[in-house]
Amino acid sequence: MWSHELRERLLRAGVAPRHVRRYLTELREHWADLTAEELRAGRNRAQAEDLALARLGRLDDLARIMIERPELRSWTARIPWAVLGFGPVLGLAAAWGMALLILWSGWNWFLGGSLKGWQTPFVPVHGFAVVYFGVGRMLYFTAPLLAGWSMILLARRQRIQAVWPVILGSAVVALLGATGAVDVRLGSGDVGIRFFPPGLQYADAAGHAFLLFALVLFPYLVGRWRHSRPDPVRQ
Amino acid sequence: MTTSRETNPNFMNGVPELLILRLLADAEMYGYEIVQAIRDRTDAVIVVGEGVVYPVLHALERDGALKSRRKTVAGRSRIYYSVTKAGSRRLAALAAQWTNLAGAVQRTLAGGEYGHVVA
Repeated sequence: MWSHELRERLLRAGVAPRHVRRYLTELREHWADLTAEELRAGRNRAQAEDLALARLGRLDDLARIMIERPELRSWTARIPWAVLGFGPVLGLAAAWGMALLILWSGWNWFLGGSLKGWQTPFVPVHGFAVVYFGVGRMLYFTAPLLAGWSMILLARRQRIQAVWPVILGSAVVALLGATGAVDVRLGSGDVGIRFFPPGLQYADAAGHAFLLFALVLFPYLVGRWRHSRPDPVRQ
Repeated sequence: MTTSRETNPNFMNGVPELLILRLLADAEMYGYEIVQAIRDRTDAVIVVGEGVVYPVLHALERDGALKSRRKTVAGRSRIYYSVTKAGSRRLAALAAQWTNLAGAVQRTLAGGEYGHVVA
């Protein structure tokens, strides 16, 4: 259908997905109105739809008038290196921040205050606390993957053709994810993330980083491979 | 001494924007209504491409000159646009520019000290 082709053209040209989505919705509604108008004029359904499409405009023109407006371009298309390079860092910081907040609040709610006085964070928890801490731990451990996959989703959504910004973003998130670790100050009860903590095994960290890098990139590579294959339906 | 003067980069470029702002100053409308209204009010002298209005509407909304809301009418989801205060100011400025430009063109066509009426 014309709207599918128009969507692909606009996204590949860098028009922001929200503008593309809305433009297509409006054009489809407009097309329906024009079709109804032609039906009222006595045309049959097929004629009415064809005439309505002709009145709406040629596909090239509908694409061009949108692409020619730089203010409607997405930030991912304008500065892919910044969005895909710094985006995962912010995403990782947000996910880790949320995980630490869950853990810190859990310690306060379920363990009667901060970690002051505790000699070890490994204390028994029961009931809802198990689920609560479980969510926090899962978010903490999956944060690099979530941040990386969000970046991949952003790149795919915008049909980014350049591979290097995605590789850059994946490398950044893998490096941070492999070298950052939760840091608990038992004395003060403070929690945070520390990069390259003492005792870090560099060989292990390198392996971890490579694994994260591969896992983040995997869906992107599969997506590109699938997209590069000819579509039998559209041939 | 040098003086800076505003130029008129493209006579027709701002016309859809001006017409849309003027129409929406009277009432909120959706795209199809806007195209119909332009055709009706200009006696079909100005017929814009049916799909042309949307990029203009999006850009005006992005600039804060328009605001939009989704409304369901008779089972159809419509996006209605209306003018903001910033849009009213922009309309006034554009209308003044256009009146000035049209007056200048009219004076030139009518001739004057150095010209004759152009039929």
